[in-house]
Amino acid sequence: MSDLSSSPLTRRDFLSTSAKLGAFIAAAPYVARGADGTGSDQVNVAVIGCGEQGRILINAALKIPGVRFKAVCDIWPVNRNYAENILKKFGHDPKPFEDYRELLATVKDIDAVIIATPDFKHAEHTVAALKAGKHVYCEKLMSNTVEGARSMVVASRETKKLLQLGHQRRSNPRYQHAKDKIVTGNRLLGRITNITGEWHRAVSADLGFPVGKGLTDAKLAEYGYANMHEFRNWRWFKKYAGGPMSDLGAHQIDVYNWMLGVNPRSCMASGGVDYYKTHEWYDNAIAIFEYPTKEGIVRATYNVLTTTSAGGGYHEYFMGDEGALKISESPKATKLYREARAPEWEEWTTKGVVAAPLSGEGAPPAVKPWEKVGVKKLGGPSKATVDVRETAALSAWDIPVTLDKAIHQPHLENFFDAIRKGTPLNCSGESAFATAVTILKINEAVAAQKTLTFAPGDFIA
Amino acid sequence: MSESSSNDTRCAYTYAFFLIRLWLGLRALFAGLEKFEKGGAYSFTAYYENMGRMASGITGASFLPLWTTRPFAHSIGYLLILVGVTLLLGIKTRLTLLAHGLLYVALSFGLMVVQEGEGVAWLGMHVILAIGGLLLMQHNRFALVRD
Repeated sequence: MSDLSSSPLTRRDFLSTSAKLGAFIAAAPYVARGADGTGSDQVNVAVIGCGEQGRILINAALKIPGVRFKAVCDIWPVNRNYAENILKKFGHDPKPFEDYRELLATVKDIDAVIIATPDFKHAEHTVAALKAGKHVYCEKLMSNTVEGARSMVVASRETKKLLQLGHQRRSNPRYQHAKDKIVTGNRLLGRITNITGEWHRAVSADLGFPVGKGLTDAKLAEYGYANMHEFRNWRWFKKYAGGPMSDLGAHQIDVYNWMLGVNPRSCMASGGVDYYKTHEWYDNAIAIFEYPTKEGIVRATYNVLTTTSAGGGYHEYFMGDEGALKISESPKATKLYREARAPEWEEWTTKGVVAAPLSGEGAPPAVKPWEKVGVKKLGGPSKATVDVRETAALSAWDIPVTLDKAIHQPHLENFFDAIRKGTPLNCSGESAFATAVTILKINEAVAAQKTLTFAPGDFIA
Repeated sequence: MSESSSNDTRCAYTYAFFLIRLWLGLRALFAGLEKFEKGGAYSFTAYYENMGRMASGITGASFLPLWTTRPFAHSIGYLLILVGVTLLLGIKTRLTLLAHGLLYVALSFGLMVVQEGEGVAWLGMHVILAIGGLLLMQHNRFALVRD
């Protein structure tokens, strides 16, 4: 037995031991996380906004190892209970909150907040979460106002906390491959001169709510909503949202900016509420942009319709003098085309940049399982040239990269990797701000009915 | 009917039968030979690859077990060549026409069980021609070995 009296505790020893003890106590929650088998990579998450988009993000994040849901928040008990229940099914134990302020003040061990509330609340919720010391993943569009979007970037900068915006195509490996290996890397499209894009959706009825489950007028007013109809259908009202260009076009026009690496210099637009009687925002709108790239002007059109799914659904179509890229989150709507005048692409197939189609457009005729492979079949009558000015047909190719996860998952993974490992964000607040400015200018142009221009400084928060 | 008219008719039947025999013979011969081809080269290896695919394809899409489809697939190429050659040379033509018709009925059955209607109709034309040949059998000429 050692003689304690023979080794008196010095002041230095006392301070050293106290510091170590203090450090241990401070680290205790993280040590405990490691002890439950999840490792130090665990990220504690809260969700603010548990409606349709919030649920999509929850379902995608549930598939990511090390993500632990600690709290959910929604002013509507229907949404809140749904999120709480589904998370409990997967072994999480989130605390439910009606008010995000209470959540941020009460649950201290949250690392990150996922925000999927209506657009007009993004800035308020994001800034509060950032100022509470949390990293934020916020759904697009950043905000329904430029000022709101700017406040989010400023708060991120001041708090030095991460801010990722939900333009999830930037983390989609097919889009990344298209940008890095086809458009920018090997310039297979040549000189891009034009982009078209669209998102067409069929007519949909307004959302209702279960009898007896509506919020009271007082509760709705407390959170900024006029009534239950507007709360459920906020996307169609100017007070809460940026309209279809913001809801749908934001994803794709973000890809225009991202793929070209520049922001537009002008925008003209036309749109109107041509069909619906209950919407404030237009249901049919077209925008035209000019992009000043290093190689020259790229003209881009974008069309959003909420009255028909005709026209090809949703895609972005980049057209160059040597090739064209039609890309979509739907693999079926994705195709690559080579102009007849362009060099052959066989070398790019061996390098894994493009692939000869095995099915769909450009693929050899389908062979039944019992038929011999490689038989040359006679085609139908050759297509007559309708007009002598027709140029040679494009050859169709595929992009040999597919996403085998939920479409939002890679973007969330990128966000969590940024928190854990310092991986650069694929859509930081600064870059998403430029997209928000681009989108919100469309609404200005629709109202002004004239061409509006951007100054380079407009895109800097 | 005059004698010359009767001769003309007989002559027409003879040509008609010859055309049927020629068509069915060439068709069977090349239908058999193409089963040995893969990538432009002919070999027994290619034959068993092609026929293996045929057997497993039919089995995979129907109720027919592999032990029925594989022996059929492995023999059909040889049988078609044999029937084709014997039809062209005119060896036991009645029996050969019957064999030809039965082979195409069997092939049609394979496509019937995978609900390949167009293929059945296409193969059915061969059977109809074989029937026509059998009906015109009495006009068979230019044969090496008569029935």
